[in-house]
Amino acid sequence: MTTPTSAPQLPFTRPNPMDLAPLFAQLRDKGPLSRVTTPAGDPAWLVTAYDEARTILGDRRFGKAHPAPEKASKISGAAIQSGPTGSFEDEEREHTRMRRVLTPAFSAPRMRRLSSRIQELADGCLDDMERARADSPDTPVNLHDLLSFPLPVQVICELLGVSQSDRDLLRGWSERIGILDGGSDAQEAMADFQAYMGRVAEAKRERPGQDVVTDILKVQAEDPTFTEDDMTRLAAGLLFAGHETTSTRIDFGTLFLLIDPARRDRFAADPEGLVQATVEEILRLSAPGGLGLMRYAREDVQIGGVTVARGDAVLVAINAANRDGEAFAEPDAFDPDRAPNAHLAFGHGGHYCIGNALARTEMRIAFTSLFRRFPGLRLAADPYTLREHSERLTGGVNTVPVLW
Amino acid sequence: MQVEVDRDKCVASGQCVLTAPEVFDQDDDEGKVVVLDDTPAPAAHGRARQAAAMCPGVAISLRDEGR
Repeated sequence: MTTPTSAPQLPFTRPNPMDLAPLFAQLRDKGPLSRVTTPAGDPAWLVTAYDEARTILGDRRFGKAHPAPEKASKISGAAIQSGPTGSFEDEEREHTRMRRVLTPAFSAPRMRRLSSRIQELADGCLDDMERARADSPDTPVNLHDLLSFPLPVQVICELLGVSQSDRDLLRGWSERIGILDGGSDAQEAMADFQAYMGRVAEAKRERPGQDVVTDILKVQAEDPTFTEDDMTRLAAGLLFAGHETTSTRIDFGTLFLLIDPARRDRFAADPEGLVQATVEEILRLSAPGGLGLMRYAREDVQIGGVTVARGDAVLVAINAANRDGEAFAEPDAFDPDRAPNAHLAFGHGGHYCIGNALARTEMRIAFTSLFRRFPGLRLAADPYTLREHSERLTGGVNTVPVLW
Repeated sequence: MQVEVDRDKCVASGQCVLTAPEVFDQDDDEGKVVVLDDTPAPAAHGRARQAAAMCPGVAISLRDEGR
């Protein structure tokens, strides 16, 4: 749609993976909502203040669909979260249906039952780390390749009923669909990813399993409006969201814990006792990706001193909101003692991340196991020199070199 | 501390169960919040406060805070 604008363009430049782009705080100082330009070059509102972020995420006057999708601001050239989704008229009904299908599989009780399996998988990852260290004692071990990536990907593959042996394929597609200026390559990767999920679904129709794809197929069989495209897009989205995000949090959490040896020692002395609050602080402070959550106004809304017009794109910068000094004392400090810690890492309101219990469970197990096994873990590189993948929707780093 | 929930507002996130498992559970059917202990012991108050603050549906309220 319209292009010419002098508003700052996302993603903003950040100094290193631990700190946010300073422009977020500068914009917040001027007001809770600012005019910005999306990575795709279209106008949008950026929400940087905690109160307004939480209000908008919990307000049904903001949705993911658009009254006239062809006129909507595009966010990026990635194959997901790049523009409006779903039907404007049926948005609520479609969302309710999707939540109903998925809630049982991602519920906290189900995660409790899954915990021992996640623990086994985590222990396997740590064994791999030990082996890598023994094979090449002078080389730092890349925690990203041996724990942060494989653990979440194995867990989500099991949950969805997808073969582990395809994980390199899945990794490739996931990376390509999340590139902000991915364009036709991102679309092609999404099409291949969906075709793959279609084949998985075909196999599950013949031989149902105890997995989320089978759950989705049951609902699809009873609902003629639930198309094959809806089904494969949902399954591909779950696989993407189910590992990219958790993977970056395990990387960033490790960095935050290792930056300060006293912080690491405190955690390593009592991982079980400290892990719950520590994971929440890691979720608040780690800021993979530079965009945030995307909404479109369903009607004109007065908020934060501005009028957001019907159809306007709104990017809720949850990373910036999580460091709003009005909501969190010393917002840039890592302080697992904050209580309560009502961060927005999983969003807020009706679209709150359905995978939050899964992510929290994986993170708790990963950090507890990691620091039980390697209490003297240390970084083998200056974390401030690590490159963050600002070109990716989910951000993240590819290397977290560690020694012990 | 008295724990009250509004199940109509609950969005079945399950964060409360993970945060304060001695106070909250989810039902099997819809995943909506179930209160296990509406007058939790002081040791659980911090976790209950975290669960209420995080609740994405603002479905949890705590009365007699601080007593």
